Amino acid sequence: MKIEYQDKTMALSEITELNATNSSTLRDEARAGLKHDVTSLDIDLSRTRFVDSSGLGALIALHKTMCGRGGSVRVINPTPTVQQVLELTRLHRVFEIVMTP
Amino acid sequence: MNAVLRCSPDITTVPALARRHPLALTPFLGATVLEHALSALAAEGVKHVRIEATDRVDELRHITGRGEAWGLEIQFSDDAPDPLPPARIVELDRLPQLPNQPLWRTYRDWYSAQLALLPAMANRRVGMREMAPGVFVGLRTRVDPSATLLGPCWIGANISIGSRAVVGPGTVIEDGSYIDSSAEVSGSIVGPQTYVGAFTEVRNSFAWGRDLLNLDTGSLTEVSDRFLLAGLQRRPGAWGGIGEAVRILFRGLPSRQGITNAIQLPGRNVTIKSAPGNSPAT
Repeated sequence: MKIEYQDKTMALSEITELNATNSSTLRDEARAGLKHDVTSLDIDLSRTRFVDSSGLGALIALHKTMCGRGGSVRVINPTPTVQQVLELTRLHRVFEIVMTP
Repeated sequence: MNAVLRCSPDITTVPALARRHPLALTPFLGATVLEHALSALAAEGVKHVRIEATDRVDELRHITGRGEAWGLEIQFSDDAPDPLPPARIVELDRLPQLPNQPLWRTYRDWYSAQLALLPAMANRRVGMREMAPGVFVGLRTRVDPSATLLGPCWIGANISIGSRAVVGPGTVIEDGSYIDSSAEVSGSIVGPQTYVGAFTEVRNSFAWGRDLLNLDTGSLTEVSDRFLLAGLQRRPGAWGGIGEAVRILFRGLPSRQGITNAIQLPGRNVTIKSAPGNSPAT
């Protein structure tokens, strides 16, 4: 996973899988990387081939963290399979999903 | 009268449908495409059918047998190399019941064909009843009183629809499936023996077992969490020797469904809401 900062946005990218093996690591590293001035968290899922309930749990945990500090989470370019799981679990209504060219 | 039924092997437009079984065995309103085609041929007076297929022919043979179920005599091309005498040729890229609508150009074709034939097929199916305009429900299906059914929809046999679930419009639930509480299924097909988890939303998709196919994009996902989406087919020996012994011991007793039906209170109605524009349920 790669973490980058731009203005008040923290961006997570290069996430190939979000499952029981790596979801808690991702969540903890993302939380640890949150600087005080970060108000927006972008999670790039354009390379994510697989997501399960543990991975969704990590996304929800980060969403709660950001909401707690008055910020927001955006899911960027989810792959079709991830998009399907988000829709199946109705999380597409929780996260702002952004598709960029 | 003779007919040759060609199960086209070269269709590549809907690979996700052919992943588990040959295309001819794709679920279609309570049966398979092949079974519906055979029914139509039998209704037209055909007596002998030769099935030309190359893809997983044993699976086709397992479904058709020798054709007794339709009053047909069925042979497969690999059984009898010699073709039948002058025969009608039927390509299984569309159903005889719907000759102007291709089945396999896109996933949407297959979905739309089911909606087009839904009322006619429902009226022909034994035990299926129209509970509200466009809402057809099969035998031994239980719908929770708090569930909402929106027509047009086909809910097959041996299905359970949980509390506060919403099914329809434009939805087919195949036999033996379980729609858990507060789930929403619309514009979709739920394949046979499929569990749709509580609070999930299946929209514009084909859900069969753990496979979830988006009908518009063709994207196929295997859902790994069984509480979201899963197949309900019992694995042979899943309960081990003890389970098998108990099953044999109690074989003579009525089924759980039978017991449920026996104690069901008379006059208890299910709440059905019809689609906008339709008259309310009677």
